Amino acid sequence: MTDAGAVAAARQGDKRAIARLVTVFEDLRPSAAPRRSAIAAALADRPIGRVVGVTGAPGVGKSTLVGAVATALVAAGEPRVAVVAVDPSSPLTGGALLGDRTRVRFPSDDARLYFRSQASGGQAGGVAAATHQVCRVLARLFSTVLVETVGVGQGEIDVVRIADATWLVVQPHGGDAVQFLKAGLMEVPDGFVVSKGDLGAAVGATVGALVAAVGLLGGARPVLTTSAVTGAGVAALAAAIATGPRGGLAAKEPYFFERWVGEEYGRAGLRRLAALAPSTAAYLAAAGGLDAAHAAFAAGAPAW
Amino acid sequence: MSSPSEPYLLVDAAGQPTRDAPWIFRTYAGHSSPRASNALYRDGLERGQTGLSIAFDLPTQCGYSSDAAIAGPEVGKVGVPINSLDDFHVLFDGIPLEQMNTSMTINGTAMWLLALYVALARERGVPEASLRGTIQNDIVKEYLARGTYIFPPEHSLRLIAETYEYCVDHLPEWNPSNVCSYHLQEAGATPVQEVGFALATAVGLLDLVRARGRIDVAAFGRCVGRLSFFVNSGIRFVEELCKMRAFAELWDQLTRDRYGITSAKLRRFRYGVQVNSLGLTEAQPENNAWRILLETLGVTLSRKARCRALQLPAWNEAMSLPRPWDQQWALRLQQILAYETDLLEYPDLFDGNPVIAAKTEAIVAGARAELEQIVAMGGVQAAVDAGYMKQALVRSMTDRMTRIGSGAQVVVGVNQWTDGLPSPLTTGADGGMFQLDPAFVDEALAGLAATRRRRDPARVAATLAALAAAARAGDNLMEPSIACALARVTTGEWADALRAVFGEYRAVTGVDGQVLDLGAARAAELRARVEAFVARRGRRPRLVIGKPGLDGHSNGAEVIAVAARQAGWDVVYAGIRLTPDAIAVSAVEEDADLIGMSILSGSHLALTEQLVAALAARGGADIPVVIGGIVPKPDVAALEAMGVRAVFTPSDFELGQVVERMLDVVDGARP
Repeated sequence: MTDAGAVAAARQGDKRAIARLVTVFEDLRPSAAPRRSAIAAALADRPIGRVVGVTGAPGVGKSTLVGAVATALVAAGEPRVAVVAVDPSSPLTGGALLGDRTRVRFPSDDARLYFRSQASGGQAGGVAAATHQVCRVLARLFSTVLVETVGVGQGEIDVVRIADATWLVVQPHGGDAVQFLKAGLMEVPDGFVVSKGDLGAAVGATVGALVAAVGLLGGARPVLTTSAVTGAGVAALAAAIATGPRGGLAAKEPYFFERWVGEEYGRAGLRRLAALAPSTAAYLAAAGGLDAAHAAFAAGAPAW
Repeated sequence: MSSPSEPYLLVDAAGQPTRDAPWIFRTYAGHSSPRASNALYRDGLERGQTGLSIAFDLPTQCGYSSDAAIAGPEVGKVGVPINSLDDFHVLFDGIPLEQMNTSMTINGTAMWLLALYVALARERGVPEASLRGTIQNDIVKEYLARGTYIFPPEHSLRLIAETYEYCVDHLPEWNPSNVCSYHLQEAGATPVQEVGFALATAVGLLDLVRARGRIDVAAFGRCVGRLSFFVNSGIRFVEELCKMRAFAELWDQLTRDRYGITSAKLRRFRYGVQVNSLGLTEAQPENNAWRILLETLGVTLSRKARCRALQLPAWNEAMSLPRPWDQQWALRLQQILAYETDLLEYPDLFDGNPVIAAKTEAIVAGARAELEQIVAMGGVQAAVDAGYMKQALVRSMTDRMTRIGSGAQVVVGVNQWTDGLPSPLTTGADGGMFQLDPAFVDEALAGLAATRRRRDPARVAATLAALAAAARAGDNLMEPSIACALARVTTGEWADALRAVFGEYRAVTGVDGQVLDLGAARAAELRARVEAFVARRGRRPRLVIGKPGLDGHSNGAEVIAVAARQAGWDVVYAGIRLTPDAIAVSAVEEDADLIGMSILSGSHLALTEQLVAALAARGGADIPVVIGGIVPKPDVAALEAMGVRAVFTPSDFELGQVVERMLDVVDGARP
């Protein structure tokens, strides 16, 4: 299957073709940039979908919740929903065990839903280096893309750099909210979900603590309660997501380009980038887009 | 009292020399249809078997009728399909219930099968109180190792507690559950883990029955006395003997100290055994006969810790279901041990032996620490939820595989003395293996259809509604289940009614955070090949691994997943109890380089055919497939003819080699 053929089939919802395109965007070698560029151009006529981050500590029930929300979104009329679930890679072997599929089961014949596992590739922060890339193609094919991060601790919510809106999931008695508050990160998520809402009195206490903390920081951000057991609250969360912001993905490209330069070429690379253009956004525009910029910067990088 | 001159003799209450009655001789059996299995049981009883041990097929175990979509390839495979009370009438035809001691290996649907047995007794006019036997009814190890759970833990445990509450009044000689350490050993548990986890399970169960407060103190004492265990016996028979003594000692202490049971009789550790299948080999399978004999010694030699019932696997169990002759051969071993040898003429042979005492004490101490750890975590349920036991088991299993792979643990015919002469036992026309007759499966389906035609639909609907109402109200579900049985409700209908109230459970996996030692040089070599793949393709090789069908023995799939990750693959673990179509969807969505399916139920041909068709329908026909499981040799060729690229059987114990062959497939598939 050629990339052009895959694009045509993916527009019709062919999952094999979609999966192949995702694989192209997971390939971060500069040599793959022309393929990405061509695919991105071929899909540029389509609107950019909403990218929603779902993050939280390990074991709070992110996978189960994301599966339920995706199903609820399409049931409520959302045209097409993709899930990207990130799991950690082993720092020793580079390999990864991606187990989120065991907790998410979509009806196998529902063409509106797509699930993709992704290894973190040793990146800290809860998402992979390729997560942003993969969202670029999925957001052109799906009206909503849910990104479930690695179970992270405090200070690791890089998904906000990709997503139009990010939800932090905490469980009753988890103490997570307190940790996030201490770390000064309560300002970061756009909304909060207390999972396992069937656990009784602890739920109310956790919700109360969150509402108080959010109120203290000013602004009005939602605090919702869900239960995977009873399904309670899932539709409300889906409704909140479906009315949230969308389309901001392209604006994230300068950040990820700088991050890529920093990782590949260090401070010298970042100084070179600054010298080449007044701003990173300007450099991307001059190069002809993100992928072309990858190729151009890699080609022009001093050999060392 | 022994006579002073002959202190070694076993004497009766009157001081006369005597010999012990033997344990109950059982043969774990059942397949195809109720009629075929009935013939099997009658033959077994005629040959001198003294109890029945019923194997149910996976749909029955998982709460599906034979005509359910997911049941398809599994009907009658690993046991008998039971759809309704009509099937029980056929299954026990000509077998007097009042004289039987019947063991039923059934868990998720244990209450239902007990209800069918009671209903059968009522229709035959046999007094319920005369029924003797056991239902396995231990859900914890289903979550940990075996996988035939249906409902979430709290509801499953409620069903078990209610069988205790029913039996203590109505079936005083019935064991309402057999707490299993058997499957823990199969899953790789060490003796200490086996004893510790099983006792934690038993304590969790009795704590629950006591806390529910539905029965009085005297009845609770009788419940403690009726709790029995189902234990495994491995090849290290001296250690196994000490394990059994440790079990008995700890149980005596626990029931006295935790539950205040004063009667020594009610504190007695009662257990049945199936000796170890894990160590049986497909290579030189005749050697398994000796292994089974030696494993039997661990649970029979010490009178103080001797089993109450014993079932032996057949020598060819690593290859297929046993044939009637294979089962007879296994039964003869028990009869020779009990009646030809002098084993049953002596008191305990090991009391006072310092080696046995010290070894036993070491297991007692280790198991007690393990038990206390689990209690401190909030009990067995919390430990299951946290994945604590599952991870410990996967770790033990990967350690074992590592030792066998490195040769540190000798397995004769497998990693030592592998050149053997061809076995005449496997050169017959059937290859030494049992072949199912598919006509029997049609018979099971016809029986189900006939039941559906004959029964009174209004009575079926009314009894199912009453069952659901009792489930919601928190009432004991035994009587409503018996009413369902009498009305010819089917197994699937009973389970569905409760699924609607309780929901269904999805398990945690034990694969997270596990490390497997493939050997440093081997791992480096494999990783170098993986890195070459990465350089060529711009990503890691991607393996989608899952278990189709209802067979829940997930450890093999998990060990391969951990090994591949160790070699640098990205492994998407799709889980268990999947349809082949769901595995195809996962592989397509994940753009897999390879699909691994693990199948231990014997349904590999049908399930693989379904996977291949599903892949073709979803545009994934080019994704290569490998199969792992208990696959008889002739079927390997059949699988390869379907396009399967490699088949791994128990003889492929060297994990590095398995990963290497998977890399060969991936490297050859798409350059």
